[in-house]
Amino acid sequence: MNTNALQFRRATEAKAFDLDHRAIVVKNTNTYHAAVARGIARFADWETARCRAAAVKWEVMNHLDRYLEEFERNVQAKGGHVHWAETGAEASQIAVSLAKQHGVRKVVKSKSMVTEEIHLNPALEAAGVTVLETDLGEYICQLRGEPPYHIVTPVMHLNRAQIAKTFNEKFGTSLDATAEQLAGIAREKLRAEFLSADMGISGGNFAVADTGMIGLCTNEGNARLTTALPRVHVAIVGIEKLVPKLEDLALFWPLLATRGTGQFLTVYNTLIGGSENFHVILLDNGRTKLLADAEQRDALHCIRCGACLNACPVYKAVGGHSYGTTYQGPIGSMITPHLRGWQDWSHLSYASSLCGNCADICSVHIPIHHHLLHNRRNSVRQHCDPLIQRLMFRVWLWGVQSASLYALGGKMARLAIWLGIAQPLARAWTKRRDLPEPPRQAFRDWWRNNERA
Amino acid sequence: MKAALFIPCFVDQFYPEVGKAMVAVLRRVGVEVCFPAEQTCCGQPAFNTGYWDEARTMAKHYCDIFDGYDVVVSPSGSCTAMVRNFYPELLGEVRHASANTFEFSEFLVKKLGVTDVGAKFPAKVTYHDSCHTLRELRLKQEPRTLLRAVKGLELIEMSEAETCCGFGGTFSVKFPTISTAMDDVKCQSIVATGAQYVVSVDSSCLMQIGGWLRRRKLPVQTKHLAEVLAQT
Amino acid sequence: MSARDNILNRVRDAVRTKAPRPPEPSAAPIWPPMGEAEARFREEFTALRGEIVESLPEFLAGFAKIATDKSELAGSGNVPVREADLGVTSCVCLVAQTGSIVVACRSAEERALSALPPVHLVVARRSQIVLDLEAAIGVLRKQYGGGFPSLISVISGPSRTADIEKVLVLGAHGPKRLAVHFINK
Repeated sequence: MNTNALQFRRATEAKAFDLDHRAIVVKNTNTYHAAVARGIARFADWETARCRAAAVKWEVMNHLDRYLEEFERNVQAKGGHVHWAETGAEASQIAVSLAKQHGVRKVVKSKSMVTEEIHLNPALEAAGVTVLETDLGEYICQLRGEPPYHIVTPVMHLNRAQIAKTFNEKFGTSLDATAEQLAGIAREKLRAEFLSADMGISGGNFAVADTGMIGLCTNEGNARLTTALPRVHVAIVGIEKLVPKLEDLALFWPLLATRGTGQFLTVYNTLIGGSENFHVILLDNGRTKLLADAEQRDALHCIRCGACLNACPVYKAVGGHSYGTTYQGPIGSMITPHLRGWQDWSHLSYASSLCGNCADICSVHIPIHHHLLHNRRNSVRQHCDPLIQRLMFRVWLWGVQSASLYALGGKMARLAIWLGIAQPLARAWTKRRDLPEPPRQAFRDWWRNNERA
Repeated sequence: MKAALFIPCFVDQFYPEVGKAMVAVLRRVGVEVCFPAEQTCCGQPAFNTGYWDEARTMAKHYCDIFDGYDVVVSPSGSCTAMVRNFYPELLGEVRHASANTFEFSEFLVKKLGVTDVGAKFPAKVTYHDSCHTLRELRLKQEPRTLLRAVKGLELIEMSEAETCCGFGGTFSVKFPTISTAMDDVKCQSIVATGAQYVVSVDSSCLMQIGGWLRRRKLPVQTKHLAEVLAQT
Repeated sequence: MSARDNILNRVRDAVRTKAPRPPEPSAAPIWPPMGEAEARFREEFTALRGEIVESLPEFLAGFAKIATDKSELAGSGNVPVREADLGVTSCVCLVAQTGSIVVACRSAEERALSALPPVHLVVARRSQIVLDLEAAIGVLRKQYGGGFPSLISVISGPSRTADIEKVLVLGAHGPKRLAVHFINK
């Protein structure tokens, strides 16, 4: 088992029966689902909204070269700059160079999963630049030295008391501080940082091709301040974030907000365009590999709403940190082997019961669980499967093609259970569950003895 | 009406009563049944683990056996979904057996138009939506309609009816801790209804749910829909 | 070969084969029919904790340090934006469907006006209310043609966060209060 798979196993073993963790996650996801139900009720036809969004994303992803070039042209036409990065490391280096070029000592950041993916903060810090997360959830993660737990709600796993404790350790504030007071403390601390930062770095929820603008959807206003106050703004976006035109946002903004948090719109839907201090870094980092797979290309339609995480019984059992990689939950499990390698990341595609709730809920109709099946097939084709498993299925195939061999195998299994020797062999099952009572006779035996005409 | 029976491997070997019950109910509503004995497995275990070549062999095997019958009925939503929804992708074509295999409740309600099979089962019952049945076959009301027509039966909905029980085939033994954590959540929801029985159209789910309930000696028993409908 | 060339070449190669097309979406309306625009705006805006200001002088009297975008409607302020406890701006339009206000900013100072001071007041004409987001984007297109300002923000209420146990807190980093005053013209 590779290290990532081992780490996943350990993390999930620890979390799955951590009932405090489970209680917090369940409470938060229930609140989320209630809010989303109210949000969906605002639409006359939610299903059509999803279908339209899927159609727009298909158009972009299947003509991506054209839309990337259009986007670049339109950013540059207004004096903005577009940089291209093949890898995460390259993207971080571009950001570091821009910081050096502009004499940047301090960066304020608004929430961006892409910046997690490329490990931006350590690269900037290594170059002597101070980086501050400004999204409240990310700020708390930064204070705790933890990665974000969820792509939309970074501290879904923490309760007020835990957050108050962190603030108490760092700032000496009260352990009894309410959510409102804690937000107030963060606001005050970060205000000074906004006002003294030299560069603001954001991600981008959408990149609008026909106007050369980056769309940011936030509630806190930190993205506004990140892009308003510092003299340079750098936006880092994956190449899949494109939408063709501004009018598409009339659909995507409410779609994202509804499935993201149950809101009609997030408080600030901001469009930022060219000016000479505006830099966009377009990131590949494995996305072109997924693009080249026409069968699974639609995974790039993802708008990062987070709904699939909140719908997934596996995610709810083990939490976001267990995945050990930037993109968690169903969509994360699905795209990670494409982006980061099959040998190291196939196991996440197997850590699913394939219940399909993710596909049912996906804002843009990605058949996520079917892609997990495709991933499993791909992983076997690339010989990432354990040899013993491969042999087991060869033997299984040989046995199951013959009704008599299969019947014999079945009899042996039932006998093993009845004799009690299945118990230790089936430890994976029997640790927490009883085995079924073995019947004396298989259905086929009954049919042959009683029913055959 | 004649139907061939597709009895999935674990029903055949571990839950033969479910098969027998389905035969009894089908005969009661006037269906003539036969059991092609060369059948073994639909290939889902291999398919779900990524061994599509092996699964394809079994898919051809299934279709070769069942192509000659008008209609095939199975007491498993999961296996029916494999045959109907996934065989076309696996085989690159839609074979007759694939298009004409039906899950038991689907067959009764949608094919025969039957909602009352003359069953009697006075008990409090809750229904578990197995994922393949719900999301692949899109059957939610059909089993419930049949249950509501059973004399004396009180159907109580659980809050987590649509939530996966955690079986997921080999997932249940590859990731047993996650699987049983999901089982725990499911069973808490079941027990909270006060029902005496939890019913499903998938014995695989019932094996998972039953395994957890029995280990903890919880006061709920599992029954397949066919077993309930066979009661008179 | 630059990173740009490499990426674009890979993209071009990839999209030579098209992915299967999703089913054609229906032409059904996504949104339910809306009532009268101004009434709907007021309803949505106040539900988001926005404040409708009836008397402008009374409202302004509560603030000593005011910064404005110096537009005809917003008037002129008395302090730079970083010192203000109230920021006053005009707007491009208001969106009835979502209770939102669309602001456009051409300078850093303007960007800060609707984001930095703890209270943001928008002075607008009733005729600036449009029905929905699509209409709002239409107004932006018409007003700015090809030359969009560097920042446009669709603002739906005061800033907020629910990151801590999903408890709603108003006033995260952006303004704690958002108000709108309609002038009588």
